[in-house]
Amino acid sequence: MGHSTSHSAEPPLVTGNLSFHELTELVSRHAEKKPPMGWYVAIGISSLLLLNLLVMIAYQVWNGVGVWGNNVPVGWGWPIVDFVFWVGIGHAGTLISAILFLFRQRWRTSINRAAEAMTIFAVICALLFPTIHVGRIWVIYWTLPIPNQMDMWPQFKSPLLWDVFAVSSYFIVSLLFWYVGLIPDLATLRDRARSFFRQRVLGVLSMGWTGSNRHWRNYEKAYLLLAGLATPLVLSVHSVVSFDFAVSIVPGWHTTIFPPYFVAGAIFSGFAMVVTLMVIARKAYGIEDLITINHLEKMNIIILLTGSMVGFAYITEFFIAWYSQVGYEQYAFINRATGPYAWAYWIMMSCNLIAPQAFWFKRLRRNVPLMFAISILVNVGMWFERFVITVISLHRDYLPSSWGYFSPTWVDVMTFAGSFGLFLTLFLLFLRFAPMVALSEVKGVAPQADPHFYDGESS
Amino acid sequence: MIDLPVLKDAEASAPRERFWRSPADLRGETGALRGGEFMPGASEPPGGSSRRDFLRVMGASMALAGLAACRRPVEQVLPYARQPEEIVPGEPLYYATGMPYRGVLRPVLVRSHEGRPVKIEGNPEHPASRGATGGFEQASILNLYDPDRSQRVLRGGMGAEWREFAQFTQELDGAARIGVVAPPTSSPTMRALRSRLAERFPALRWVTYAPEGADPFRTALRTEAGASARPVYRFSEADVIVSLDSDFLGPTDINLLSHAAEYARRRRMASPEDAPGRLYVVESAYSLTGGMADHRKRMRSGEIPAFAQAMAARLGVGEPPDGGGAGDAFLEALVRDMQAAGPRAAVIAGETQPPEVHALAAAMNEALGAAGATVSYLAADDAMESPQVEDFAALADAMHAGELDALFLLGVNPAYDAPPEFDFAGGMGRVARTVHLGLHLDETGQAAEWHIPQTHYLEAWGDGRAYDGALSVIQPLIAPLYAPAKSDVEVLGLLATGVDTPGYDLVREQWSAWLPGNADQAWRKALHDGFLPDSGYPEAIPAIPPPSEAAAAPGAEEIEVVLRLDASVLDGSYANNAWMMELPDPVTKIVWDNVALISPAMAERLGVSAKYRKGQYEVDVLEISVEGRAVRVPAWILPGLPDYSVHLAMGYGRRIETDRPARKARFFDLDHYTDIYADGPLANGVGTNVLALRARDMRCVLAGAEVRTTGDAWTISTTQEHGYMEGRPLFRKATLSEFRENPSFAPDAVPGLHGQEDWEDYPALWQKQHPSEQPEITENLYYENQWGMVIDLNTCTGCNACVVACNSENNVQMVGKDEVGRGREMHWLRIDRYFVSGDGADTDDPAMVVQPVPCMHCENAPCEAVCPVAATVHSPDGTNQMIYNRCIGTRYCSNNCPYKVRRFSFFNWTKTLPETVKMAQNPNVTVRFRGVMEKCSYCIQRIRGAQQTANLEDRSLRDGEVKTACQQACGMQSIAFGDLNDPDSAVARARANPRRYEMLAELSVKPRTSYLARVTNPNPELEPQG
Repeated sequence: MGHSTSHSAEPPLVTGNLSFHELTELVSRHAEKKPPMGWYVAIGISSLLLLNLLVMIAYQVWNGVGVWGNNVPVGWGWPIVDFVFWVGIGHAGTLISAILFLFRQRWRTSINRAAEAMTIFAVICALLFPTIHVGRIWVIYWTLPIPNQMDMWPQFKSPLLWDVFAVSSYFIVSLLFWYVGLIPDLATLRDRARSFFRQRVLGVLSMGWTGSNRHWRNYEKAYLLLAGLATPLVLSVHSVVSFDFAVSIVPGWHTTIFPPYFVAGAIFSGFAMVVTLMVIARKAYGIEDLITINHLEKMNIIILLTGSMVGFAYITEFFIAWYSQVGYEQYAFINRATGPYAWAYWIMMSCNLIAPQAFWFKRLRRNVPLMFAISILVNVGMWFERFVITVISLHRDYLPSSWGYFSPTWVDVMTFAGSFGLFLTLFLLFLRFAPMVALSEVKGVAPQADPHFYDGESS
Repeated sequence: MIDLPVLKDAEASAPRERFWRSPADLRGETGALRGGEFMPGASEPPGGSSRRDFLRVMGASMALAGLAACRRPVEQVLPYARQPEEIVPGEPLYYATGMPYRGVLRPVLVRSHEGRPVKIEGNPEHPASRGATGGFEQASILNLYDPDRSQRVLRGGMGAEWREFAQFTQELDGAARIGVVAPPTSSPTMRALRSRLAERFPALRWVTYAPEGADPFRTALRTEAGASARPVYRFSEADVIVSLDSDFLGPTDINLLSHAAEYARRRRMASPEDAPGRLYVVESAYSLTGGMADHRKRMRSGEIPAFAQAMAARLGVGEPPDGGGAGDAFLEALVRDMQAAGPRAAVIAGETQPPEVHALAAAMNEALGAAGATVSYLAADDAMESPQVEDFAALADAMHAGELDALFLLGVNPAYDAPPEFDFAGGMGRVARTVHLGLHLDETGQAAEWHIPQTHYLEAWGDGRAYDGALSVIQPLIAPLYAPAKSDVEVLGLLATGVDTPGYDLVREQWSAWLPGNADQAWRKALHDGFLPDSGYPEAIPAIPPPSEAAAAPGAEEIEVVLRLDASVLDGSYANNAWMMELPDPVTKIVWDNVALISPAMAERLGVSAKYRKGQYEVDVLEISVEGRAVRVPAWILPGLPDYSVHLAMGYGRRIETDRPARKARFFDLDHYTDIYADGPLANGVGTNVLALRARDMRCVLAGAEVRTTGDAWTISTTQEHGYMEGRPLFRKATLSEFRENPSFAPDAVPGLHGQEDWEDYPALWQKQHPSEQPEITENLYYENQWGMVIDLNTCTGCNACVVACNSENNVQMVGKDEVGRGREMHWLRIDRYFVSGDGADTDDPAMVVQPVPCMHCENAPCEAVCPVAATVHSPDGTNQMIYNRCIGTRYCSNNCPYKVRRFSFFNWTKTLPETVKMAQNPNVTVRFRGVMEKCSYCIQRIRGAQQTANLEDRSLRDGEVKTACQQACGMQSIAFGDLNDPDSAVARARANPRRYEMLAELSVKPRTSYLARVTNPNPELEPQG
């Protein structure tokens, strides 16, 4: 562990001088006691939204895709915007768990559990949209390579098919990674469980974990392997999503910058979502000692970094459009900034490029209300980024005769709102039933784990 | 493969007789197709093992194992009790007949499937059609299946019987003062019955009535015998054509097909040496003819007579008007050009012009020596017709004065389209007995005592003459869908003779005079051919009236209103036709509306604008009034219109009654929204009846109008929201001299990029590995033909006939105004219209160009690569195919199509179709379900049909054997389609044309559909337009 002495001056990752038992109490009790009134209110609202989502999907499947605003030329509207938005959100968790784990960023421990949960729920929301957005949902399984009597296979040249594989493998690996990380903590809950039923369920879920040395060894090895597996996926999934656009020939889509630009944007939006949720959760559950202002500051630095990368990409696109000499491409970008959807473009620019610049200042990036506001702005901006890419590029392409305009319907809006219902409901259930902080890992980085201050001197 | 010795033994001991189809077959020369009962791929699984082998063995095992235990399910197939002769299920039959259209008969050939007419084509044998049609013929099939047709005989609004009506007519007193109003007709049977009617009722008043007014030709030029002289133009002979407000290439023109064919012959330039004619158009509207013009001058309709006079005076006819057009460079250059052309010039006057201008045009043609060269005249057999205006006014006055005992309205609708001054419906109330015969219970039908449902022309016998006079029988293809329906001939026959005679007998009797020798055989031949040979009108030399005094030109700021037949709904007779309602206006691209067209300058003065909002346009509603008669119509700004000129289309603002109940939908489904027929007749509530502006004289050009804004707004849906080409080389054109300088101007129009590498340099990337070069494609039998299309922009006017033909052939669904506004129209073939103006030129007076855009069938199709389920694939014969039942509807292909020709069924459009409309669907084309992408297929069903025929006849396909629906309809023959592998095919020749270019070729998509760029022929003395 390459900690130099200068790092020992770093503020502690867990404050409040909590003992291991106090830490266990702090986290576990939320999964055990009756939740507070606020939780019921929150899940009440989110389940209503979820119900609304189900109604919207039923309405759409019954009547057809026409209930949305999609048309020709804008074949992809809000559902695809929402899909990319949710996939992007779903990037932070695995990045925090896997990449930061490999880089030995120990501060990740207090947020990785919730961030991974968030990832999984966001990917569930993301998977929903491409599924319901097809014209004939009842044959969606034709996108899967299932042997059949017609010798018909999916068309492997299509980026949409790559999407199917990329997002579903990302989902599976993220879920496994999350679950493996949960095992020691589930065992802790099991040991604390009083009721028979709870003991049995948690017993099964914790897979007979005893905390023996051998268990720890296997666990660490599995975790490391999964982290190694998940790391390329973090980068690949959004690269593949970006291929949906980049592989096409639509001006504004057909650019090679898309994969890194999309990944940076995804991390950007994912971290913003983590900040949004953590700011609320640490307050509501009184875990400010675990998720300290230092954690939030670190995340804000990443938001600043990725936000500037994304902003740089926006400007690069303009440069390349000019440099390419291709009139269609140039028009696509002029149209973004000055056309009928210019308002969307400038919302995107101000939310994604300008707003995070506040984090250059230490005082501002440690200001909780401000970071909350900025994280919301970033999420709005990132939604609009996908809107800008998807809708503005499509609505005016090669032949001016076929130019059109897209406007969403109430079903588009309610479906998107409903996806938040799905996400929040799952997240609230997670807060209620699972340890929201990776206890075993936090204990490892708590000051109590290092009573003799070896850590600072080891190198 | 299952290989059992027992099977081989069985084959070896097969009988020795050989069965063969042709000597070539016997000798084994017919290649791989021999012996295959079905088309390749139809009966073998893709994996290669034979289904038959499998079934043979499995079937034998099963039969042995379980035969005794099986009971066959009982399925009853009901055959024709008496199989009609000639009908082979699945094989369409074609019948020649004719469609009455504005007083002439348009010869058509109707395709009938199992006794159900589904598609109209032109009659290729008939000189007036040569296989082509206009859009109205194509759309008339849907009028047959109109769900709002009246279905019952009504008396006083109550159901009645035809028998009672017959009794009523028989009881009419011979002394009764009878009035009959009928549309212009060329039917000899109608004429004969009219004479017999006049015998029965000496006090008969017969009025020939067309809402667009009397044909000015009829009143302008007459032969000595008193018949009207019909001009016939041979534009192919003309070096200079001058149109005085004549939209002779427009969709509503009576003689469109002949004009189109003649015009196109000269413009189909195969090389720079060809000399196209030159077309000057002086017009008030922006017509399609104006779009084709080499020089177009916008001018109010009322100013054109003076212009014509000034022109005529310079050609030595009559006196110039005051001012005389001195100093008009356009006029001077035009006249010099005409004089240089001499007999190879032609002047044509339009329907909006008074008879004097038609007379002047004839006199100018005469003076130039063009009469007999580029224009000749036919003597029509309409000597008995008297001018409509006086007759109709007299009739209306007689009605109000109570001087009429009975009034018969045969297929006309004056309660809707007569000038309001006549108060026709009110007048009907003062006539004791009124009878209306009509397809719909329309405005007139509602006011009449009796209403008789009329037959469609495909349901009843009749006859008529084409524009050139050739006699045809209208032969029905189907019994009337509604049993009580009667034809005009039958009603008139009953009225004239008192005997209820079937239409067939009436027509047959009339025709007996023309059928020489073996009358039955001649009759059958006339029915088969669709016309009687050598029955055209004789040539005539009209008496040209001397030039009369110039009509007073309108004041400089006097607003003029011009009413025209609508390019889609005509006079309202196509208003309840979904194809026509949703057919974009050829110039404005507006659907489901009529608008007041005004110039940009006038719009600025009035302060009206069109605001683009969510894909639709929000426009101001104008109140247009002439002498106190006012209508409210939304304004639409059209560049190229003369100032102080308002253009309105008739045929809207209908009020049809129907028995069909309104659709009720459950709260959770959108059937009401997706059913364009849900709220009763389509025509109701669309647009305004602008004919209410007309005065007693029924002129369609009204001077001294007042226009004001009302402050109201109206939302307009168009299929093309953007009318400028943004400097992109999509439609390419050059002048004749530019073409001669650089014959390859069209392909050269796309400048290469700096440092661009030619993709031909990388054959490994683009050719060697190309899927179309792989053995599974090249070894396929379909590989033999490679389909391609070339569209000649030099001759395409944008008349929409191809679009309607495509709708009809390919079961394209109509979606309604709101959905078009959302960009969800389903047309497979669209016609893009762009305005063009040079740098610094007046954008108020641009040129207009049109470009049909079907699927390009790209060889490197961008749509194919992105489909996740391989629902759109390339066929071995080079078409891009859409496999509907594989499509899951991701719409990625549409996004990636640079031409945006793909269409998506956002809703289930066919679920709510009325039963009768379903009958209009082509059984050879899949009706698409919702959630599926669709697009132009190059009419693949026609290709496969022709291949099957060729296969059965053991021969290869002949060039021209496959015609796409659009190609077949086109009167200009602007569309060449065929096999690129055949070097002699029309399409291969068209592809060798130096004007050929591929739109967006720079994307390397290699479109199979390409264009021939337009070459204009401007007068060097004048500024070229656009």
